[in-house]
Amino acid sequence: MELTRRSFLKVSTGAFLLSSLGLNLEPAKAYATGLRTKGAKEITTICPYCSVGCSIIVSVRDGKVINTEGDPDSPINEGALCPKGASIYQMANNPYRVTEPMYRAPGENQWKKITWEEALNKIARLVKKTRDKYFITKNEKGQIVNRVDAIAHVGSAALDVEECYILQKLMRSWGLVYIEHQARI
Amino acid sequence: MARKGLLITPDLCIGCRACQVACKEWNQLPASKTKNNGTHENPPDLDANNFNRLKFIEYADQKGIKWLFVSHRCMHCGEPACVQICPVGALIKDKDTGIVYYDKNKCIACHACKSACPFDIPRYDQGGKGKIAKCHLCIDRVRAGLIPACAKTCPTGAIKYGDRDALIKEAKAKKYKLYGETELGGLGVVFALTESPKVYKLAENPRISESVAFWGSVLRTLVGRGDSATSSFIKYLAKKSNE
Repeated sequence: MELTRRSFLKVSTGAFLLSSLGLNLEPAKAYATGLRTKGAKEITTICPYCSVGCSIIVSVRDGKVINTEGDPDSPINEGALCPKGASIYQMANNPYRVTEPMYRAPGENQWKKITWEEALNKIARLVKKTRDKYFITKNEKGQIVNRVDAIAHVGSAALDVEECYILQKLMRSWGLVYIEHQARI
Repeated sequence: MARKGLLITPDLCIGCRACQVACKEWNQLPASKTKNNGTHENPPDLDANNFNRLKFIEYADQKGIKWLFVSHRCMHCGEPACVQICPVGALIKDKDTGIVYYDKNKCIACHACKSACPFDIPRYDQGGKGKIAKCHLCIDRVRAGLIPACAKTCPTGAIKYGDRDALIKEAKAKKYKLYGETELGGLGVVFALTESPKVYKLAENPRISESVAFWGSVLRTLVGRGDSATSSFIKYLAKKSNE
């Protein structure tokens, strides 16, 4: 381009006006040093919350979850996630998450930590006690029913088919009839 | 790269607020303790830990009651007043994408941008007294070829990211009324509406005060000096420009 006096004035006035507006004419500096997840290992998983089963990409660095977001390759969610799914990062990184069994005794207002052994024994004892007390062998018509109406079971949408099968077996063996699932409530 | 933008269609929004969660997750922002203030709208305002927020609007006319959800964040103006007034160049308009982002290392916490912004967007860390914090349209993601966290997570397509021109064309083809197409040099965040902008609590005819460029040049002249007395004087002037 030939630089005439006129075009020189045009360009330089324009540049002056732009700089007076505060527009930075130098190459803009990067917002951050780079992408937070650059070089991290990406693993796909299924959202554990509801039964839609959205796919999530989990970025892992040094064995720590550093980011989670929807998987665009999934035909189910196409990269989108609901607020619960979008918060899945907190499943791994959350100081408020309960990681040990907690027990609140009747009448108490405080939770206390107990061991898994204590917790399982307590649950087993309570199940046994309730089942022994309320087990019904025959109904009013005298038919054999062998059931427990005093215990109910609520399953989670995060359970897979195999887990549901085992739970169903266990609950039926106790004589439970109130076996429900979170997705139906 | 062509100018990038968001297209926000309140009619498609179901108010799930995944955009708020995804924004916090990507930007690693901690939770703020809030109270129930009688509406589903939460948090009550933008702050240094909340770069975007969903407005819940109950609107009644002859046809009945409408419940509107409007995703609210920095508009990424075509002619950003914050960039014009910032004395240290901490607020930057990206040349490629038109995104208005910031450099916290440069920010001197003078809060001049708050007075300049026609949309009341800039917020500051350290309980409102520190440095600038606002939506930067995930410029780190955009530069890596990813889309901003809010647009990525949106399950209904109420927040769409893409080339601004293409988004505007798409909204026009669907006969939406546009907000932000021409305002302030064209906003980077364009709204596709079916009612007037007032109904969605969007600023009608947003304007940049004529004094913004003046204050910007005054503040910039002083910044060249850089002794502590001058820097407190800058903060005093920036406060003055708020009034």
